[in-house]
Amino acid sequence: MTNVRRSHGKGAGKARRRENKPSRRKAGQQPLRSTPKVSLADPPRVIAQSRDVQRLLAGIGAPPPTVFKPDAFQLEALAALEFEDVLVTAPTGSGKTWIAREEIRRLLAAGRRAWYTSPLKALTNSKYQEFIEEFGAERVGILTGDRKENTDALLIVGTTEIYRNQLFDSLRGGGEVPGRLVVLDEAHYLADEDRGHVWEEAIILTPPRIRLLLLSATIGNASEFAAWIEDVRGVRCGVVTRPGARPVPLRAAFLLPDKRLMPLFNDAGRLNPEIARMAETTSAKPPRSPRRNW
Amino acid sequence: MKLSMPEMLPATLLAALGGYNLLPAIIFLPTRRRCDQAASEAAFARRDPNVERHEARREFMQGFVAEHPEVRGHRHSDTIIRGGVASHHAGHIPARKLVRDKLMSAGLLDAIFATATVAAGVDFPARTVVLMGADARTGSGWRMLTASELQQMTGRAGRRGRDNVGFIVAAPGLHQDPQRIAELLKAPPDPLVSQFRATYTTLLNLLDAFGNFAQVREIAERSFAHREAAHHITRLEELRFENENKIKTKLQNANCDLSFSVALAFERLVSARARLQEGLPQTRAEVLHRWLSEVVQPGRIVGIGRSGKRLVMVTQRSQGNVSGIREDGRRASFALERIGPVYAPVYRLREQFIEEAFAEVHAKGRELVIPEPRLRDVRTEESDALNLIDQIIESIAPAHLDATKKTACIEALWAAIGEAEAIQRTSRQIESMREEVWQPFERRARVLAALGYVDFDRERVSERGRWLADLHIDRPLLVGEALENGLLASLDTISASATVAALTADEDRDYGELELDDRIVSALARFEDIGFKVATEEWKQGVEPAPEMNFSAAAAAARWAGGADWSTLVNETRAE
Repeated sequence: MTNVRRSHGKGAGKARRRENKPSRRKAGQQPLRSTPKVSLADPPRVIAQSRDVQRLLAGIGAPPPTVFKPDAFQLEALAALEFEDVLVTAPTGSGKTWIAREEIRRLLAAGRRAWYTSPLKALTNSKYQEFIEEFGAERVGILTGDRKENTDALLIVGTTEIYRNQLFDSLRGGGEVPGRLVVLDEAHYLADEDRGHVWEEAIILTPPRIRLLLLSATIGNASEFAAWIEDVRGVRCGVVTRPGARPVPLRAAFLLPDKRLMPLFNDAGRLNPEIARMAETTSAKPPRSPRRNW
Repeated sequence: MKLSMPEMLPATLLAALGGYNLLPAIIFLPTRRRCDQAASEAAFARRDPNVERHEARREFMQGFVAEHPEVRGHRHSDTIIRGGVASHHAGHIPARKLVRDKLMSAGLLDAIFATATVAAGVDFPARTVVLMGADARTGSGWRMLTASELQQMTGRAGRRGRDNVGFIVAAPGLHQDPQRIAELLKAPPDPLVSQFRATYTTLLNLLDAFGNFAQVREIAERSFAHREAAHHITRLEELRFENENKIKTKLQNANCDLSFSVALAFERLVSARARLQEGLPQTRAEVLHRWLSEVVQPGRIVGIGRSGKRLVMVTQRSQGNVSGIREDGRRASFALERIGPVYAPVYRLREQFIEEAFAEVHAKGRELVIPEPRLRDVRTEESDALNLIDQIIESIAPAHLDATKKTACIEALWAAIGEAEAIQRTSRQIESMREEVWQPFERRARVLAALGYVDFDRERVSERGRWLADLHIDRPLLVGEALENGLLASLDTISASATVAALTADEDRDYGELELDDRIVSALARFEDIGFKVATEEWKQGVEPAPEMNFSAAAAAARWAGGADWSTLVNETRAE
């Protein structure tokens, strides 16, 4: 996984660079140009660019519109959910929520219940809004510390703490937590120093008859995590990882106070030597100015 | 390697990004306050030249306000309409977040200034993500970003279906560190590390649900943190089982029909014997020291020196040091070894009895002296114990066996002693690993018991405890005790906000030095008394007490609840 992800940073860049390589001049050997000036009142205009920057920015812009087609990993996760718990690890923005939404859609159509938990109230609120637009207000409720609406709805969106508290209540009162599916969004919060224990408790206490769908950022030990879930719940837990790195490739740049932009990495994938040189010269005389205290 | 450079003004930064066609961007700043300020500054200094977008935003905002009247007239609407920028942090009301998300996805915003701590909560992507440094703000200071945190942030760069490429831009900052950012970008993702811990709320709820500690313990032992230990325990149990089998085989081969637990008992006797032998005093001085440690205790009169003429009543003893009161009433302290005769009666340590005590010792003299042990006596006594153990060891083999079989049995037991020892050791290891998980819970259970929320011996949650379990809050003990004492009911709005702020704000976060009025101070003082009571109980049981109350936050909250203007408050305090 790691290798694929890494290669994306430089490999993709290399491929791109090969396409438009007029000269083989190395980064950092570029002659310095005079700084283009942009005043505040000026309308944005394209700043004169060095070849390095041209390459850095090549291809910037919007792709032609395409019809949405789910990725293979999304379909794989959805299929696996029929038989087992699923841990999905993928970078943000690669469509983890889509998997949850489609599974919820299937359950709601069959009149079944589901829980969707997220770590932050703000996220919970926007998911609530999103699901209302998707499934209709009568089918979605919200439960956070501040907000309780339509709590008998088939789909409940709430914070992980509230879900864990419901598990406590049902253990104490003998009642059952209703539902077929619990989605734990941002499941990597398990490693949060203050609140992480709540995620563990939620996973340990969720009855095995309820399917767990865990959506996590990329983590280094996904299979170990899934093995633990299997141990404590006695239910198989599959791992679905998005192959390749990000859905949209990432390039890194460094901006100078004079508004010059330069690539953060050179062709070899190392720190741009020009930046390294600058850091060396300035670190010789560290500035005494304190951090802005506001 | 730091590359320290003055930060660009927000508008300048946006102009530079715009010049490279890098907008829209999410700009991460360390504090909420800086996000709000940067957004206003940018809106003030820049003018979006695109009149259409300007109008589109105005129209959108008008429609939105009709639906969500709570954002009407908000000072940030202007920032959004005029500047095409917004701020994002955990302190915003839901409607404000909603309007920002919608404008962003409609492509009507150029920039969002967000705190790094809410990176996970940012669910609007942009073309570019901007960082001013490689640090993250914590409650008490700064620390380096982790690879995962940076990944969370860069995850917002590049909109699926709307961007061919996403960008991360390291912009000038006083603590900028391009090398560190480069390293983090290339780092493999951090592993998920368990942060499982014992909390009062969890303990109360689980104990109430199961009605016994064993099941609560079983839940705690299933934590991700304990997983490694659990595996280790399984391996140790396998090892123990193997050793049990080895012992059984050895006994069988010797035609000895003893159960393997006899082998364990045998090993314990043998090792007890060894310890006893090791502990035997070898010299007279050792014997004497041991005896003195036993008999010299507060309330006894002792003589100093071999002559023993100077009498002292012992008041205190710690290890080898003794202090006491002399006949003339003066204090004295001396080493244990200097003590000669020790008189048997133990007197009460009251001034009025001391004189009588000395008088009695003078009158009765030597008849009250406890006889000193002789080396020979000690040896006999302890060798008696050794003999006794030897006898038990002898009798371990079944009596009905004939002499040869008996000898074979005893020999087999001796041969199995290594395995038996290993079993004892493994069992102790298993016990201590299980103890490690459970101990924090047990300690908390004792605190809860001391305060009446749990009946420790019956393993039951009391009525009050059930009520506390229902609160589902942080720091339940402090709040529970306060409610119990009717403290919260007596507070007015301002004192209540101050109190809540004092309890919930980070202990070490400074909100400036505003004055608190007497009413609030006395309300907080009553809370502190309760906090002290709870903390004392926690110290006693070895539980780390909850952080203290933050008076500075209380003052800031009281101002706010008292109707102070937000921006005045922000200037007066360091609230973010």
